[in-house]
Order: sequence, then structure tokens, then C-alpha cells
Amino acid sequence: MIKVIAACVIGAALAGGATVVATSLATESTATAEPVNETLYNYGDR
Amino acid sequence: MGAPARVLPWTVGLVAAVLALGPALGPGYVLRYDMLFVPGLSLPTVLAGADGFPRAIPSDAVVAALSLVLPGDVVQALALLAVFTLGGAGAFRLLARLVCGAGRVPGPVLAAGAAAGTAYVWNPFVAERLLLGQWAVLLGYAGLPWVVWAVVRTASARPAAGLSGLVCSLVPAAVGGFSSVVLSALTAGPQALAGPRRWRSAGLFLFALVLVSLPWLVPSLSSGAATDPAGVEAFAARSDTPFGAVGSLLALGGVWNSGAVPPGYGEPVTALARLLLCAASLAGWAWWLYRAPPAVGTGLSVSAAAGFGIALLGVFAPGREFLAALIGLWPGFGPLRDGQLYLAPLALVQALGLGAVLLWLLRALPVRGGAGLAADTGGTGPAGERDRSGLPLWRVGAVVFTVFLPVVVLPGLLWGAGGRLAPVQYPDSWLAARDAVAADDRPGAVLVLPWSAYRGLEWSGEPVVVLDPATKLFDRRTLWNDDLRVGAEDGGSVVVTGEDARAREAARLLEPDPETALPGSGRSRDPDALAELLGGLGVRYVVVSAPVDNRFWSGAETLSPVVEESDMTLLEVSDQHIKADKDDISGLEVTGGLVTVGAIIWSIARSGSSLGFQRPQPRTGRGARKEIPK
Repeated sequence: MIKVIAACVIGAALAGGATVVATSLATESTATAEPVNETLYNYGDR
Repeated sequence: MGAPARVLPWTVGLVAAVLALGPALGPGYVLRYDMLFVPGLSLPTVLAGADGFPRAIPSDAVVAALSLVLPGDVVQALALLAVFTLGGAGAFRLLARLVCGAGRVPGPVLAAGAAAGTAYVWNPFVAERLLLGQWAVLLGYAGLPWVVWAVVRTASARPAAGLSGLVCSLVPAAVGGFSSVVLSALTAGPQALAGPRRWRSAGLFLFALVLVSLPWLVPSLSSGAATDPAGVEAFAARSDTPFGAVGSLLALGGVWNSGAVPPGYGEPVTALARLLLCAASLAGWAWWLYRAPPAVGTGLSVSAAAGFGIALLGVFAPGREFLAALIGLWPGFGPLRDGQLYLAPLALVQALGLGAVLLWLLRALPVRGGAGLAADTGGTGPAGERDRSGLPLWRVGAVVFTVFLPVVVLPGLLWGAGGRLAPVQYPDSWLAARDAVAADDRPGAVLVLPWSAYRGLEWSGEPVVVLDPATKLFDRRTLWNDDLRVGAEDGGSVVVTGEDARAREAARLLEPDPETALPGSGRSRDPDALAELLGGLGVRYVVVSAPVDNRFWSGAETLSPVVEESDMTLLEVSDQHIKADKDDISGLEVTGGLVTVGAIIWSIARSGSSLGFQRPQPRTGRGARKEIPK
């Protein structure tokens, strides 16, 4: 049972690590631009 | 069903909610695009509504009713929590029911359910609709797994029991309103027609849909709303990954608004990982269909394919022309213009498919008819518990990793989409304006300026585009420009004409300056003449809800400031000009709403459960057979 729990923890830790890597990749890329200082705002931009 | 199978689905949904929403669950209001909650939303005002299609009914009415007993920001947090919790738990339990029926849920199925629950609420569709602020649509989306199972159950239940289960499962869609009901029909309709006793199931499902739709259906019949075909171009799906529009849609993204894409989503590595996960999930679904088709196999596959087809219509020019022609023919086809919305059944298929991948990883093969796991795959027969100690440990680790994989490949949704869902407090000036209007018993509408629907509020320090909160803040009829202006890819813009006839009339009288959207030409240039024009429209107050340089009310004798701050000015129109009517709700609309509320109360009381999953029904017919695959 302890081994199973340890495997679960390792799996979760790997997922956490991969998420951190993916997050850093994502933040390094061009972020979605929020419109700034427009007089009138669109509902959205395609 | 044991304790883990009862608790784990809700835990998965709740954990996903906390991870995704994070700061949004704190004090304050999360404002973004269509997500607009205000303190003390007025129930009578919501019910009286505006001209045009009643899109805010009944979601805003439910929020207003809850706001009578809870602060508005708490209501919002509960609504957002419900999206993830209901959705995650629903997908989890749907998979468990499809594999094990009402029997005991073995460990491998719990793991597969956890993966399905996570995948269902953690995907680009949810992220993009959340960032677009469409919480009511997402509430309907969260209810889809429950609706699908209720349709499956209807086939083997007595009509009254089937109907009560259906109405109960449609409560989230009932709250969500029009789009949510359409999604429910698309997702579960084919299942009703594909399952046993199809005509009875379909009839009951249709009746349940009508019952929960009455609050918006009745007023819409008399609204005379028209749909502008220009919306087809504006709201068509688009590419938000390097894989084009089709690849983006297959990965459950492709929303029309680039501002609703999670941060970093289009980055090639994570986008590719996301696409591979979708492909693996679809392969898992195909494997499940091949090995032991689940009760929803055909119906849900048809729904997903149909939804994907609708989404694709907007991608290609002939499809857009076809849609525009349909809308020109009958405005009721208008909802098809935002095609990406119809990916919802595909999202459910992919979530169940990821669960099937886990079953495959665990060598736990489902048997036909939802009777558990096959004995020759390591289980102890139908609904048996598999001996986990016999599993290689690497596989256990891989299973846990796979459960979290939807989060790994879409990190942009974490913690309020990287802070994009940060709560803010309403400035004192806004609350003072609201209180001043509320203290006035005299009838008369509120007109919101500048004559443009969306604002770039900087209350959190960063500009956030949101529907002007002044459109819902006041406890009386509000006139605002409901035209939707969408920036096109070529730098221009598309204007989708709004539906409120009184707003169109106001625009004609105001003749707003195209640069400032403030009164600027013709008679409206003279503030006293403007007050007379507005009074004729029944306007008692004018709200200027943005910082403006043009103080058009200066020197006016018939427009007096009540509140005057940098981003909120409340002007009172002189009483002598006002010809106000009281907005009333018709008896037919009240009756429609009461019938829906009564049906929901009846269904919950009859089911004795929430949303129809709790109470096992006796299984009869073909679905009860235990078959071992060859």
C-alpha cells in the first residue's frame, strides 16, 4: 500500500513539475494582449 | 456505490474549481466581458427586462433572487464554483455509471472517472468561455453529463420518474438560459433518439426542455427580436493555435475573441501537447466503442460530430454564407453564429475518452451494458475490485500523471487564468449613484453614456474589458447601446446590431459622436434640448460611466448632477420633461416562470436527490445483461 501511495505521489509530483515547465513556456511566449487606453472598447477582437 | 465513489467526484470538481478560479473566489466581483455581477441586482428590474431576446433570463433572475439573501460577490463565487464542481462530478459519475451501472465502483474506474472529471472542466472550451465571461453557458455545460445520464435512465424508468429525473438534471441549463438549453438538446437529443424506447424518451426529453425553457421562451415569442447576419462573420470560430481553425476546434479551442484565449495557449509546445491529448482521448473513445459500446456511445458520438460540424460552418466561406442565409430566413438560427459553443458534446466525448485511456492503461476492460469490468482483464468479474497491489508501480504513477494531464497541457487556466480573473470592489462613486437612483420612487429609465456597451475598467490596476456595469447596477429600466462591435482580423470592425428597440430610438435621438460616443451633433448638442429629448423617451437619469472630456451637461438647467466623480457622473433630468411608463411583466411571463419553478421543485422532491444521479433505478432490458467480451 505504501508503495502504491509513493507511486501516486511521484505521479502527482511529475504532473506538478510538468505544469511548472509548461507554465514557464507559456509565459515566455507572446501573451494575449489586453486592449489599453482605448476611447471606446470593442466587445472583442478576432 | 461506496463512499469513495460518492465523495471523489465532488472532490475532483472542487479541487479543479479552486485551482482554476483561485483569487476569483475571494471577496469582490470578477468582471470580464459578459461576466457582470453587481451588488444588489434588482429582481423586479431583471424580470421586467428589456426589448429584444431575453438573454439574461433566467440567469440574472436567479442571481438577483440569491442576492436577496447573499452578497453579490458570494453569489458569483458560488456560481463559478458550481460550474467546475458540477461539471467535474458529472463527467466522473457518468463514466462510473456507464462502466459499472449502479453497482460498486472499482479502483480503476475511480481513476478513469477522475481523469474524465478533470478533462471535462479543464480544457480550452471551459477556459475560453470563462475568460469571455459566459458563466451561464458554462453552468449549462456543467449539467450536460447529468442530462445525458438522465436520458439514459429515462428509457428504463416510468414516465413520471423519467420526467422528474430529466427536469432535475436540466436545472443548470434552466438557470443558464437559452444557450444552455440548446447545448443540452444537442448533447442529449441524439441519445434520446438512439437509445431504447426512443420516441418515448425523446418526447419526455422535449417536454422537459420546454418546461425548463418557459422563463425565456414565453417573452421571446413576443419580443420580435431580429438577429443581424453580420454576427456570422464576427463570431465565427478562428484559429488560436498553430494548427489552423480545424485543429484549434479539435483541441476544443477556437473561440472568436482573441482576448478570451488563456495566456500562452497558442505556444507551439503546449498546443501540440494539448492536440495530442485530444487525439489520445478520441482514440480512447474509439477503443471503448469497439470493445464494449457504452449506453451513450452512438448518441454522444452523433452529438459530438454534429457540434463539430456546426463549429466548422463558420470557418469556411460557403459555411458562413449558408449560416447568414439561414439567419436571414429565420432569426431563430441566430445562435448558430457562435459555432465554437457547440463543441460542448465533443468535450464530453474527449473527457470520457481520456477515462477510457486510463482503463486501457490499467488493463481494465469494461463489459457491455455497464456491468463493470471484465473478469479476464484482472477484475473479479462484473463490478469487481481489481487488486491494485498487482499493478506495476510505474503504471500507478502514470495513471496519476494522466489524471492531471489536462492541467499540465493547459496551465494558462491555473489560478484565475494567470490573474485575469481578479476580483475588484465597486468604487464608492458607483455605489453612491446606485443608492441615489434607488432612493427615488418616481418612474423613469436610466440612460447609460458613452453610447457604447463595453468599458475598459481599471479598478484592479489593469484595464479589463467588460460589459458596462451601469447596465445592471440600477433598479430600473436601463437604456444602453446593445450593438456589439467586434474588431476584425484586417484591423477594421464589424458591428452587430443590437435588439433593444428603445435603445435604437435613443441612438437616433442622441446622434452620438462616433469618436466619443457622447451626444455631439444635431439637437442633442444643446444640453437642455437633450434633456427634453431624453425626457420624451422616459429617461429620468443619465449615467456617464467612464472618464470623459466632453462635459456636455455643463451649463444645462434641466440636467443636474447628482454624483460627479471622474468615472461616474449621475445626471437627473428635470421632472418637467419626463414622460415615463412603468415597466411591467406580463401575466403570461409570470405564469411561465412559475410553471418552471414548480416543475423543478416537483422534480427535486420526487427524485429525493440532486440532479438525478443519486437514486439507482432498477435495470431492465438489454442494458442489464452481463456480457464478457470475446
